Amino acid sequence: MKPIMLHGHERSITQIKYNREGDLIFSCAKDSQPNVWYSLNGERLGTFVGHNGAVWCIDCSWDTSKVLTGAADNFCKVWDCETGSQLHSIETRTAVRSNGFSYSGNLIMFTTDKTMGCNCEIHVYDLRDGDQLASNTPLLTIPIEGSKITSAIWGPYEESIVTGHENGEICIFDIKSGKTVQSCKDHTKQINDIQPYKDYTMFITASKDNTAKLFDMDTLELKKTYRTERPVNSAAISPLHEHVVLGGGQEAMQVTTTNTRVGKFDARFFHLVFEEEFGRVKGHFGPINSVAFHPDGKSYSSGGEDGYVRVHYFDANYLDINFDY
Amino acid sequence: MAAGRVDSESRKSRDSESHIEDEEIEVEEEEPNFSDPEDFVDDVTDEELLGDVLRKRPKPSDSVDSVIIVDCIPKVGKERLDKLKNVIKKLFSKFGTVVNAFYPLDDEGNTKGYMFLEFSSPQNAHEAVKMTNGYKLDKQHSFKVNHFSDFEKYINVPDEWTPPDPKPYQDLGNLRSWLQNKESYDQFSVIYGEGEKTAIFLNTPEPSMVEERARWTETYVRWSPQGTYLATFHVKGIALWGGPKFSQIMRFSHPGVQLIDFSPCEKYLVTFSPLQDNHEDPQAIIIWDIRSGAKKRGFHCESRSTWPIFKWNQNGNYFARIGEEAISIYETPSFGLLDKKSLKIPAVRDFSWSPTDDIIAYWVPEQSNTPARVTLIEIPSRNELCVRNLFNVADCKMHWQKSGDYLCVKVDRYKTKKTDDKDQIKYSGIYYNFELFRIREKQIPVDKVEEKDPVLAFAWEPIGNKFAYIHGEAPRINVTFYNIQPKGKVELLKTFEKRSANHLFWSPNGQFIVLAGLRSMNGVLEFIDTQDMTVMTQTEHFMATDVEWDPTGRYVVSAVSWWGHKVDNGYWLWNFQGILQHKQPLEKFCQLQWRPRPPSLLSENRVKEIKKNFKTWAQKFEQEDSMRKMTASKDMLEKRRKLMEDFREYRSQKDKEFAEMKEIRLQLRSGIDTDELHNQEDNFTEEIIEFLIKAEEKIVEE
Repeated sequence: MKPIMLHGHERSITQIKYNREGDLIFSCAKDSQPNVWYSLNGERLGTFVGHNGAVWCIDCSWDTSKVLTGAADNFCKVWDCETGSQLHSIETRTAVRSNGFSYSGNLIMFTTDKTMGCNCEIHVYDLRDGDQLASNTPLLTIPIEGSKITSAIWGPYEESIVTGHENGEICIFDIKSGKTVQSCKDHTKQINDIQPYKDYTMFITASKDNTAKLFDMDTLELKKTYRTERPVNSAAISPLHEHVVLGGGQEAMQVTTTNTRVGKFDARFFHLVFEEEFGRVKGHFGPINSVAFHPDGKSYSSGGEDGYVRVHYFDANYLDINFDY
Repeated sequence: MAAGRVDSESRKSRDSESHIEDEEIEVEEEEPNFSDPEDFVDDVTDEELLGDVLRKRPKPSDSVDSVIIVDCIPKVGKERLDKLKNVIKKLFSKFGTVVNAFYPLDDEGNTKGYMFLEFSSPQNAHEAVKMTNGYKLDKQHSFKVNHFSDFEKYINVPDEWTPPDPKPYQDLGNLRSWLQNKESYDQFSVIYGEGEKTAIFLNTPEPSMVEERARWTETYVRWSPQGTYLATFHVKGIALWGGPKFSQIMRFSHPGVQLIDFSPCEKYLVTFSPLQDNHEDPQAIIIWDIRSGAKKRGFHCESRSTWPIFKWNQNGNYFARIGEEAISIYETPSFGLLDKKSLKIPAVRDFSWSPTDDIIAYWVPEQSNTPARVTLIEIPSRNELCVRNLFNVADCKMHWQKSGDYLCVKVDRYKTKKTDDKDQIKYSGIYYNFELFRIREKQIPVDKVEEKDPVLAFAWEPIGNKFAYIHGEAPRINVTFYNIQPKGKVELLKTFEKRSANHLFWSPNGQFIVLAGLRSMNGVLEFIDTQDMTVMTQTEHFMATDVEWDPTGRYVVSAVSWWGHKVDNGYWLWNFQGILQHKQPLEKFCQLQWRPRPPSLLSENRVKEIKKNFKTWAQKFEQEDSMRKMTASKDMLEKRRKLMEDFREYRSQKDKEFAEMKEIRLQLRSGIDTDELHNQEDNFTEEIIEFLIKAEEKIVEE
C-alpha cells in the first residue's frame, strides 16, 4: 500500500474531505489556499484563491457544485467548484472554526471563535436568498454562552446541528428554535473533530482526552469508546466495514521536543464494535490533523501537521481481515 | 517559698493602701455609702469582672521548672555562709541569671547541706543541672543537682512494681497468605497517578488487581525482604501493612522519615529522619522491633555515608556501621556494641557483610608505606580469614555473590598519581582489576582478572559461578562474561561487542540475564541465556527507566516511570525468554516492585529431585496452561459475540428508521436518490485522467 502524497500545501493541513462520489479530495491548511485533487491519481485539480489567513474548515455540497471554506481572516466563502471562482463572501467578527452544507445543499452553517471579546456563535444562511448574503443577515444566529465550539456538523435532514465544545461537551441545537435539545459530557477534554456515519444515524468524535467515541445521532447515547495514549485529532467511520480510523499524536506544540517514535503519529484502525485496535499506518512525521474515508471504503486519506495529504488504497488483505466471534 | 514571700509582701502593701484610703475618707465628708448591705450576695464572679487579668496571673508551675536543688553542699555555720554563697554564685551564674538563692538553715543557723536556686529561665536551669550534677567542689563534696520538678515526679512513682497490662492479641490473619496462591502467581505493587494511587496486582495472565488505595503513601512504598510487610511513608512515620486484606499491622512514629531498611529476618526496622535529632536523645536513626512496635535504640547520624548506614548480617543477629577509624558492630536483641568495643581499623574506607555467613569484608587504602588491603574477618570471633595486599589502588568496590560463594573486589588502579595545588589527588592511567575471593575453598584463594577499559557495571550470577560486566566507552560498549570453575581456572566465556547496555539484571535463579540500556540508551533490552551464551531476544521498550525480575525468575518487567520520563508511562511484562506477555500503559505510573518471597522450604535434595523429574512436572503444568488458554479464548469469543449481537440489533433499528425517511431525502435533493453510491450510473460523465506509470530515460542516437 504505497500512499499517494499530495504535496500542495505549505503549512499544516487542517481538514480534508471527499466529495460524495469520492473522486475528489478537498484539503485546506494553515496556508490560505484550499486545494482540490483527484483522489485516484493525486493530481491537483485546482486551488481556491481569495482567503487571507489559515483556512480551518472546508466542505463540499452533495452535488459537488459548491465548496464552502472558513478561515482565520474572518471570512466564510462559497466557491463554484467547477471554475474555482468565488460566489459569496460572508464577513464575520472572528475566525470561522467549522462549517458545513446541509443535506440539500441549500443551507450553510458555520461557527465562529470566541476571541476579541466576541462570543462564539453559530450562523445559518440560506443560499437561495440573495439578500441574506448581500446584507450579512443570517437566517439564524445562535450565541454560545459557555465553552466555545471546536467542531460542528449538520444533523440529519437539516433539522439540527451537532456541536463539540472546548470543554468536551457535545450538544444538539434545533434549527427552528435555536435551542439546545440534547447535550452530554462523555469527553473530558476538547472535541477536535466530529464525523457522521454515512447514513447520519451515528457520529464519531475525536477528543484531546486520548479517546474517540461513537454516539447515536438522535439520543447522544454513548455506544463505543476507542482508547489511545495520545490526543486524537480526527476520527472517521468506514462506510464499508465495521472499522474506524483514528488520527492524532502528540500535540504540535510539543512535537519539536520529542522524536517521531514518542509522538506516535500513526493512523490507527479499530474495530467499530469490539473497540480493539487491529492495525496502524505509519508515514506522517507530525500529528495527523484530519482523516477521511473514501465513500466506497476502499481507500482513506490523512492530512498532517507535516503539510502532506496521504491517500492510501487498502491492500487486498485489508478486505480479508476477519474477527472471530 | 518564693511565691509565698511575694504573697506576704503584696498583702503588706495592700494593708498600707487601705490605710491611706481610710485617711482620705476622713478628709472628704459625706461620702455616699458604697458598701454592700449585710445580706448582699455577690453574683458577679471574678472571672466576669477581670477575666483578662486572671488569665495573665502567674501560675506556680511557671517558675517551678527554673528551680533546681543543689545537694551535698558543705554544712557551714553563719560565719562562713557568705563565703559559701560566693562560691555557689560564681559557679552557677555561668548558666544564666540566678534570680533567687535560698539556703535553708537549721536552728543553730547552720546550712542544712542543700539549697535552692531559681534561674530566670527553665533552659538555664536545665543547662545547670546537666553541667554541675556530680561537680566536685572538694574531696568531700560532690554536688548532686536535680530539677525541683523532678521531686514530684519521683515521689509519685509507686513503691511496688505492677506489670503493665499485656496488649490484647490481635489476629492479623495469615501474614504469608499470598504464598498459598494455587498457581503461584506473584504479587507486585504499583504506584501511579503521580503517586496518588497505590495498587497491588496479582500476576495472572492479565494482571488482576488485589487492592487499590488512594494516597496510601506519601512518597513511595517498600516491601520487607521476605515480602511479609508493605511499608508506606508518611509525614509522621512509617506504617506496615500485611495479611490477606492488607490491614495495618504496626505504625512507627518518626516525623520526617525519609529512608528505611529492614533487617533480613524482618524482625527489625531501621528508619532515618533528618529532622529529629538532638544531642541528648539520638533520634536521627531509630531501630524498631517490628512485632512489638517498640523503639529499640536511637542513633545519631554524623557520617555522610550512603544509606543503609547500618548494614545487617545475614540473619539479623548483628548490624554494623562504619565510623572514623573503626567499624562498630552491634548485636541484637541487646542492641549493645559487640564485646563492648568497636573494631579499630585505622583509615577503613568501606565494609560489607557476606549475604550468607557472618563474615565482614573491609578495605583500607594505602597509607605512607603500607599497601592497600582487603581483609575478611569472622564475627563474632574477629579472626582474620584472609588478607590481600594491593598496590596502586585508587578505589575499591566490593561485590558479594548472593549465595556467598564468592566476593569480587573491583580495584581501580592507577599508573601515576599526582597531588595538585588544591591537595586533590589526581590519578591517571586508570585500569581495573577484579580480585575474586573463593570463600568456600580452603584458605580462600584469590584469582585476578584484569581489564583495561573503564568498567561501567558488574554483576554476579546470584546462583552459579558466572559474573558479567559492562566495559568500554560509548559507542564501543562491550559486555563480558566469565566463569569460575570450582577448584579450577577463571575462564572467559564470551564478550558481546558494541552493545547498548548500561545495566545488568541477572535472573534471581541465575543462568538468564537481561542487558538493559536504560534511560539515555532508549530502553534497549537483550535477553541472554548464559548456559550456551545465546542471545534469545533483542528488543526494546522505548525510554524504559527500570527493569525488575520477579522473585521466581519467570518474568521480567520493564517500566517507564513518570519520575524519569514524562510520557508513555507504564510497564511491560516479559517472560524470561524475552517474549512480551502484556503491555500496561498507566497514567503517570511511578514505580513497580515485585513482592519478594521468603527462601524456599524445600531441601536441597528435594530441589535436585524436582529438577531431575522436570519433564513429568512440566507435563502437568502444560496441561493446565492449555486448559486455561482454551477457556480464555472462549470467554473472549463469547464477549465479542455478545457485543456483536447488541450492535447488530441497534443497527437494524437504525436501518429501519433510515429507510422510513427516504421520502424526505428524495425531497431534499430534488428527487435524486443518493442512498447508494452508484445509483445513477447514467448520470456519470466520463473524464480522462493520467497516471504516471514509469519514467524512462533514453539516449537518442543522432
